[in-house]
Amino acid sequence: MLSYYVQTALRSLRRTPILTAVLIGAIALGICISTTFIALRHVFERDPLPGKSQSLFYVRLDNWDAARAYVAEDPKSLPPQITYKDMRALMRSTIPVRQTGTFVSRMFVFPQSAKVRPFREPIRLVFSDFFPMFDIPFQYGSGWDKAADAKPEQLIVIDAAMNQKLFGGGNSVGKTVRIADRNFKVGGVISPDWRPSYRYYDVVQGPVPAESIFMPFNLTPVMQIQTSGNSDGWKDYGNTPEDFLNSEQTWIQFWVQLPDGAKVQAYRDYAANYVQDEKKHGRFQRPLHVEINSMPELLEAFGFVPKTVKVMSLVSLLFLVVCSLNLVGLLLGKFLARVPEVSVRRALGASKVQVFWQHVVECEVIGIIGGALGMLLSVAMLSVIAKVLQQGNGNSVTGVSLDLEMVAVSIFLSLVAGLMAGVYPAWRICSVPPAMQLKLQ
Amino acid sequence: MHIGPLIRAMGRNRTRFALIILEIALTLAIVTNCLNIILDQRKGMQKRSGFDDDNLMFVTAAPFGTEWKDPSFVENTVHADLRALQALPGVKNAAATYFLPWQGGGSSGTYRTDGFNGKFQAQVYPTTAGIFDTLGVHIVAGRGFVPADTPADPKTSTRVTVISSGLAKKLWGNANPLGKVISSGEGKNPRTVIGVIGEFYNPSAWPIGDFALFTPGRAWDSSGTSYLLRTAPGAKKAVLGELENGLLKVNPNRVLKTFIVSEVKDSFFSTSRIAIDGMTGLIIALIVITALGIVGVTAMSVAERTKQIGTRRALGATRGDILRYFLAENWIATTLGLLLGVAGAYGLNLFLLSRVSDVKLPWQLVAAGMLLLWINGLLSTIPPALRATMVPPSTATRSV
Repeated sequence: MLSYYVQTALRSLRRTPILTAVLIGAIALGICISTTFIALRHVFERDPLPGKSQSLFYVRLDNWDAARAYVAEDPKSLPPQITYKDMRALMRSTIPVRQTGTFVSRMFVFPQSAKVRPFREPIRLVFSDFFPMFDIPFQYGSGWDKAADAKPEQLIVIDAAMNQKLFGGGNSVGKTVRIADRNFKVGGVISPDWRPSYRYYDVVQGPVPAESIFMPFNLTPVMQIQTSGNSDGWKDYGNTPEDFLNSEQTWIQFWVQLPDGAKVQAYRDYAANYVQDEKKHGRFQRPLHVEINSMPELLEAFGFVPKTVKVMSLVSLLFLVVCSLNLVGLLLGKFLARVPEVSVRRALGASKVQVFWQHVVECEVIGIIGGALGMLLSVAMLSVIAKVLQQGNGNSVTGVSLDLEMVAVSIFLSLVAGLMAGVYPAWRICSVPPAMQLKLQ
Repeated sequence: MHIGPLIRAMGRNRTRFALIILEIALTLAIVTNCLNIILDQRKGMQKRSGFDDDNLMFVTAAPFGTEWKDPSFVENTVHADLRALQALPGVKNAAATYFLPWQGGGSSGTYRTDGFNGKFQAQVYPTTAGIFDTLGVHIVAGRGFVPADTPADPKTSTRVTVISSGLAKKLWGNANPLGKVISSGEGKNPRTVIGVIGEFYNPSAWPIGDFALFTPGRAWDSSGTSYLLRTAPGAKKAVLGELENGLLKVNPNRVLKTFIVSEVKDSFFSTSRIAIDGMTGLIIALIVITALGIVGVTAMSVAERTKQIGTRRALGATRGDILRYFLAENWIATTLGLLLGVAGAYGLNLFLLSRVSDVKLPWQLVAAGMLLLWINGLLSTIPPALRATMVPPSTATRSV
């Protein structure tokens, strides 16, 4: 029956080509715009680690100036990162199953091949737990172990693109490369499939593509590595690297993995107790404020989604509603012009329900054709947007495109739009009594 | 014209007019809110930095040779670099500085001063003497830096600062800022204000875009420095061709990266531009769609009433009467839609305010949106209404 309805619908659409083009064009426009902006929002909002992100928690402590909050106008604000000494103290806890402090530095990389000039590269300092915590897949080798953390060993993990750049690809585990003034052995190569839209493990610097080189955190004091990211402070400190490590400067992002609610509570208590202890030593002079947020909470709080993108995604849905409203009017006219034909069908035995479905199917055919067209258009629009975003320093999200989830949303929207447009006209046409129409003929 | 029969006729076609009214209401709500956001974004984009943005560029220089561990080597190289840059044809001035415009951030600190209650936050940038001439900003009071402000001994520096007029105003209102002393949040490192620059704006993570302290100092260390350059109008391309070679001639052991400030600014505003372009496209599409809807519905109502129109014509109605009838009918629908739309516009604005946005909807914008849609409604009624006037009076006498 459905295929018959579809055939009837196609025949009916062919009979009024101009009207059909307008109908399909309106749906296509609505779907194109709504899909584009919902997909754009989705790029910023989608869960980077589905199933895992709920167990990853980001820790913040308010070690700021007693006289003035981190954001002076907002007494509830606290610095987005923590100090080196607080990270060391928090890492003594055994409650988290995994934990890592992390920051980004910029160092010189000296490729062995004489053809490639030395280059300065953002390098992320992490503990061994970083790789399993953030589910980073490896193509060759692996991350390093706790022993390498403790030593610390001169090991690095590189991504597939860096592997290509330094060694021309292939299994490079065990090869060495000079970074700053030391030689580093490659311990693992990250799989080329790992292409996050942005650094979801670093919410402070905004949505920026991931680094290509990872290095053991404990080399920081040994090599006097400095952060190239944000470092916020309120208190003067000395000039030496040790002074910096012991200062109230906040520059480290700290993540813990807590498997269940009980552990989360235990860890909150642990962190609060630590701050209370430090208060006795004259630190943390502001009211006790410890924030332990899961990754989704954090991404929500740090507002990666530009507000204009949020507004656009909302408004674009309303736009689709307007397009559908438009279709209601046009379809109503089209269907009512067909009253005599329908009344003959009704008189010949077609039921009200059948007439109704026949017309709804016609609307859905319009919805699907228009939706498919709109989706194609939105793929083009998204690629233009991706280009604009990548302009300049390329400091923005990557992966601006339709993923499967968004294709499904787009199809769903097309069907809803077709239904919204079609139900009322279809109901009107099917409730025309057949006898009267025959009389009029 | 008799309005009574017109209203009664509309009442008989309730659905059709309800659709038009709803559509126009939604369109007004969306259009005004989108326009509002566009205007807000444009305001941000048009905020002037106070610098000669169009003729500025900067180079970051990151050294990798071992000789760079020696501070005096670095210092000598920086001075040699500056001389080389200033000697390039087309370069007006150059400075070594950590201040680079339109990066969306910079460095900041907390300070205090007499006459201002509590601490305040401001952007802070150590820089060499040529900075203000390089940026192209005016010094409105006092003086800029001279080389003597940065003494040879790196451990000392003249305890002076040049601040932005925005900061001077915040701290001391209209009082003379020259000679005032600003020290760190803990009361250390006092600096005397020796100059005030006219305009300064550099977006920061904090709301301190207008507040800046420049200090005479070494904007370099073993990890490198950056140079800001102002070129003569039109000389940008020529300078770009020579720039990196000139610096590499001074010392080849470093990686250079050149940025053109107008491009940096463009990339800083890329999300704003997407928003503006996207919303503009949306508004246009919406108006076209609404116009199409009105045309479609009116055309249908004309087609349905061909016989009635013919009858009216036969009874003496002129073409003008018919035209006026359809225009009046749509005028009423549009006006009702717009009235509903005003409520919708403020409703949507309230919703956006509570969730995502922070710009209130000014009434002027709503009025402008109403006018726009009103004209749009009128114009899109005319073509089908003109078709209605073509119906000959003889239609009345023909039977179906």
